[in-house]
Amino acid sequence: MINDKNSQKIVDILQNWARKHSLFVLAYGTGCGAIEIPPTMTSRYDAERFGIRGAATPRQADVLLITGYLTTKTLKRVIRVYEQMQDPKYVIGFGSCTINGGMYYDSYNTIKVLDKYLPVDVYINGCMPRPESVISGIVKLQSLIAEGKANGAAKYKENLDWYRANQKKIIPNWVMPEYNW
Amino acid sequence: MEKIKSNLIEAIKGTYPDAREQDHEGNRLDFYVKKQCVPSILNYIKGEGYIHLSHIAFVDWIEEGEFELIYIVWSPKDKIKIFIRARVDRENPLMPNIESIWRQANTYQREAREMYGIQFEGFEAPNEFVLEDWNEIPPMRRDFDTQAYAEETFFHRPGREDAMDVREAIIERSREEIPDFAKKYSR
Repeated sequence: MINDKNSQKIVDILQNWARKHSLFVLAYGTGCGAIEIPPTMTSRYDAERFGIRGAATPRQADVLLITGYLTTKTLKRVIRVYEQMQDPKYVIGFGSCTINGGMYYDSYNTIKVLDKYLPVDVYINGCMPRPESVISGIVKLQSLIAEGKANGAAKYKENLDWYRANQKKIIPNWVMPEYNW
Repeated sequence: MEKIKSNLIEAIKGTYPDAREQDHEGNRLDFYVKKQCVPSILNYIKGEGYIHLSHIAFVDWIEEGEFELIYIVWSPKDKIKIFIRARVDRENPLMPNIESIWRQANTYQREAREMYGIQFEGFEAPNEFVLEDWNEIPPMRRDFDTQAYAEETFFHRPGREDAMDVREAIIERSREEIPDFAKKYSR
């Protein structure tokens, strides 16, 4: 009965509605943007009223916030963190450094375009984005989840070879475990 | 303070005649020395109460073919900082190792080795410091073209090509002349 197309649709809607209201953000900061997260989470801006909370480990988290510039050395760790996370999982690119390099456009060790290496669902621009824009970005992600459009993880699985080729281009010494989802 | 400074200059110039001093206003004193003298001078001023190695700074004088190392030492008693400046040949940069005087010099010397390619005599430390899998010339050298490297290594999002030069926009708005020294940095 559940294989019926219409009932699957109803299940999806219910699933997305439930996922939307319980986003666990991994407490992992890569750049200077991580300093905007404590005010977002605490009493002044109180992101918890939108159902957003911090998570301690990648295996318990749903959202990976890339806060600011990402060096090639950190990218290696971020890829490991992202691959350990369980479905459903979403990536938010935070700050102009993840969009086009920002002020580090000519730096020798930071990546410029994040979505070549990881599937990004929402970008928040600004340098730095204020807690208001962080919250508006996460609310945007929630509306994408409700519409069923936040499918970055599925895209990553589909195009894994393309992502791997891009990642290996800047990480020549690839000693990483293969995670089997 | 002036008396302490002049005593120090006298003592150092008495032992090292080719050391050249430059007295700055306030609590700062510079010495230009030969690289062989660096460990013994540092040892001497450490005994005089300059016990805190604040920093070792590195300058790439590419036009003169030399690197400059600046050892910044602070005395909590006299409240004076001493800058010991030594130059080393750029082609074969080998400096004396001061790790036995201050253990924290280890970190700065590893940074110098990785970012500028300066080697230290008998210096044993892991090869990688901050960078990982780096195969190019040391990146803080001035002959390393960081923009060309970034362009060929990383993906770039189109749209930055027509970015305006800030200086030109300011000149248009305020009708001021751009100073000569700033012209070579303009796009």
